[in-house]
Amino acid sequence: MRLAGRLCLAFLLLVACDSAGRLLSWAFGLPVPGTVIGILILLALLLSLRRIPEPVARVSDFLVTHLNFFYIPAGVGVMGYGALLTRDLWPVIIALVVSTFLAMLAAGFAFQWTARLTEKREEQ
Amino acid sequence: MSAFSAGDLMTAVLWIAVTLAFYLLARRIQGAAGGTPLANLVLLGAAPIIALIYVADIELNAYMQGGKVLLWLVGPATVAIAVPLYRNFARVRSALLPMSVSLVVGSSVAVLSALLIGEAMGASVETIRALAPKSVSTPIAMGIAEEIGGYPSLAAAFVIFTGIVGAVFGAGFFTLVRIRDARARGFAMGIAAHGIGTASIFREGEVQGTFSGVAMALNGIITALVLPLLWLAFA
Repeated sequence: MRLAGRLCLAFLLLVACDSAGRLLSWAFGLPVPGTVIGILILLALLLSLRRIPEPVARVSDFLVTHLNFFYIPAGVGVMGYGALLTRDLWPVIIALVVSTFLAMLAAGFAFQWTARLTEKREEQ
Repeated sequence: MSAFSAGDLMTAVLWIAVTLAFYLLARRIQGAAGGTPLANLVLLGAAPIIALIYVADIELNAYMQGGKVLLWLVGPATVAIAVPLYRNFARVRSALLPMSVSLVVGSSVAVLSALLIGEAMGASVETIRALAPKSVSTPIAMGIAEEIGGYPSLAAAFVIFTGIVGAVFGAGFFTLVRIRDARARGFAMGIAAHGIGTASIFREGEVQGTFSGVAMALNGIITALVLPLLWLAFA
């Protein structure tokens, strides 16, 4: 029972970081999304603690493992926009698919080549 | 304050349960398929729900009573990425230069190629405006689309479609073109396919997932800052 309570507290900590981030982003009109600020807040907390409290580690690892689950409604929601897409359907599909592959290619090689040039010893 | 009736609550709980059931089924299927990212969990989970809603003639809004609860949870679940980020902090900090180069190159290619291909294929200007921010996470993309005069909801749909394309084909594509560095695989996924790509590449490894999360955050920021300016030049 005590464990369950501590896991709940850990989850509430994540919610609090997210909410604080959203509030800061909104209050100062920042171009940075609130959730990103939330990540930075939690990271700063962990860096100052110099360790990850066990319940925070367990809840976070669980959520990250199941991150896909929370995105399923977004996938379902796309259906609602189907009607908007009748006109430019093929240009849209081709632009999105080709552009996504190009972005992965460009970003991946840019990273890999820069790393090879600047790091003498290859990591793993 | 809007009234939130017991009926709404039941509807929300029902659809969350249905989503959970299809998610668990999707994991079974992915497991049976050898864990391949081709069997993407968002796609496998959403497809039967779309079919169910369509066949049973259910309003999308009814489903979204539950859906919006899960979408709200994307926030705290994304904040949880701070934990793997903390564990891999030294690795991330030592890769600042490759990350910066990749961010600038990848972010530009993601936006410009979408604009140019959309234009070349004869898409309308409203569509092109919604295409431009397709590689960043939904709330940022909707904000940018609004700023440059596109439909935010259309932008949201393009973002999700992009995320699924990256999540389904990314890992296989990286292997095909010999992007083998775990950090590069993750970072490129985060640049091109934001949170949905990140959720998927975490299943390949924590290093990949962490770099993907960092890339997603950085790309969201840089795109929000630069794209509206870029749009002025393009238009």
